[in-house]
Amino acid sequence: MTNETHTLSDELSAIDYCYEQGWTDGLPVVPPARERVERFLMAAGRPPEEIVARHPATGRECSVQSAAVNAVMAGCLPQYFPTVLAALEGLNEDAYNFHGSTASTGGSAPVVIVSGDIRDEIGMNASVNVFGPGYRANATIGRAIRLVIMNIFQMIPGISDRSTTGWPGKYSCCIAENVLNSPWEPLHESLGFPPEVSTATVFAASGFYNVENHYTSDPERLLDTFADAMGSLGALTDGQSLVVMSPEHAQIAASGGMSKRDVQAYLFEHASRDPNEMLGKGKWPTGLDRDGLSEGERGHNRTMGRFHRGRSPDDILLVVAGGEAGGHSAFLPSWSRGRNSIYQTKAIGVCLDC
Amino acid sequence: MALELFDPTGEPAPTGYTAAPRLTTLNGLKVGLFSNGKVNADKLLRYTAEVFEREARCHIVIDSGKRNASRIAEPRVLERIANDVDFLITAVGD
Repeated sequence: MTNETHTLSDELSAIDYCYEQGWTDGLPVVPPARERVERFLMAAGRPPEEIVARHPATGRECSVQSAAVNAVMAGCLPQYFPTVLAALEGLNEDAYNFHGSTASTGGSAPVVIVSGDIRDEIGMNASVNVFGPGYRANATIGRAIRLVIMNIFQMIPGISDRSTTGWPGKYSCCIAENVLNSPWEPLHESLGFPPEVSTATVFAASGFYNVENHYTSDPERLLDTFADAMGSLGALTDGQSLVVMSPEHAQIAASGGMSKRDVQAYLFEHASRDPNEMLGKGKWPTGLDRDGLSEGERGHNRTMGRFHRGRSPDDILLVVAGGEAGGHSAFLPSWSRGRNSIYQTKAIGVCLDC
Repeated sequence: MALELFDPTGEPAPTGYTAAPRLTTLNGLKVGLFSNGKVNADKLLRYTAEVFEREARCHIVIDSGKRNASRIAEPRVLERIANDVDFLITAVGD
């Protein structure tokens, strides 16, 4: 084991010591004692020295062991650890742009979306209050990712993490798919993974919009509500979207026979605005500063007449989650205003390419 | 009973990087400018460069920047700049 060790007299002293070293997100952590870390390494079944993520700017590396230390501190149980590792492997993909998404003024949180049977095996919440508190697996898996970002990769708020406002999802943001109340196939199957494999999808989200509609039972009117949120001036870019649709909304959307793919296509078509409005309101630079436009802002999107959220229906990640009652869903815009962060999905606990 | 904690910051930062030697003078040196590619970074760089040109007769030999503000600077670009300048001024717009 390569991590340095520190000797403390007892657990309470160790908690204070972690604060003093700057190793926390502001909340107390579970002291990463040797025997706890070893239980996590056993659960992972992978070499402690194996590198799962690397910082592209500094070269700092996250080994399985270092990830385990931070997962212990976050309050995880050993059985959660393979999900933490899968999420970290997703962050490590170049297309996710882990450095930019954690350093930027845009202030993203890596949202972790778990799909597949592991959801129930480790006791994840996919239902009521899915983004909220009360469930250890959800809370601590997301927190482990944040602690890795802060402790191993040294993306420190105010120093290397320059988020203008940040948002509470930066403490922890991990949900599971409510497949039992979904009218559609599970997310991991939509993305081409075998049914028996569970997956962790990571999406760099810049915030959270509540999409409320209680009174329509018409699929298109309902989806227009989502499209309006996705196409709002404050949110509209050609970045990707995470749409977390509540079971009630999903049932309405599917009631006319729409597949998940149909919903994505409808939202892509309707989440759009007149490019002249984008220019007129200062969303895009004018004159010589037009170089500041993203590739998509200059490119094909504008030739279609309307400027759309994303580049295609595939840029809308559609997940069913939340409680069975209530006309509330969520739209989370990508941190990236263009192609600078693309969501990634990894299998949990298995290597499909090995 | 004493508790042995693991340091969560992981392995030491990669070695192999050394700081460039301190400059003993600015007079007549070759300067590179490198922006993060966002709005106004170029203006700040040009304004700053004029001070060095005027006060120390420096020569601006590279005026460049990241092609993608959200990505790290390409290592091969930085290596080329390092070979061509005596010092580099960077600016971040946002």
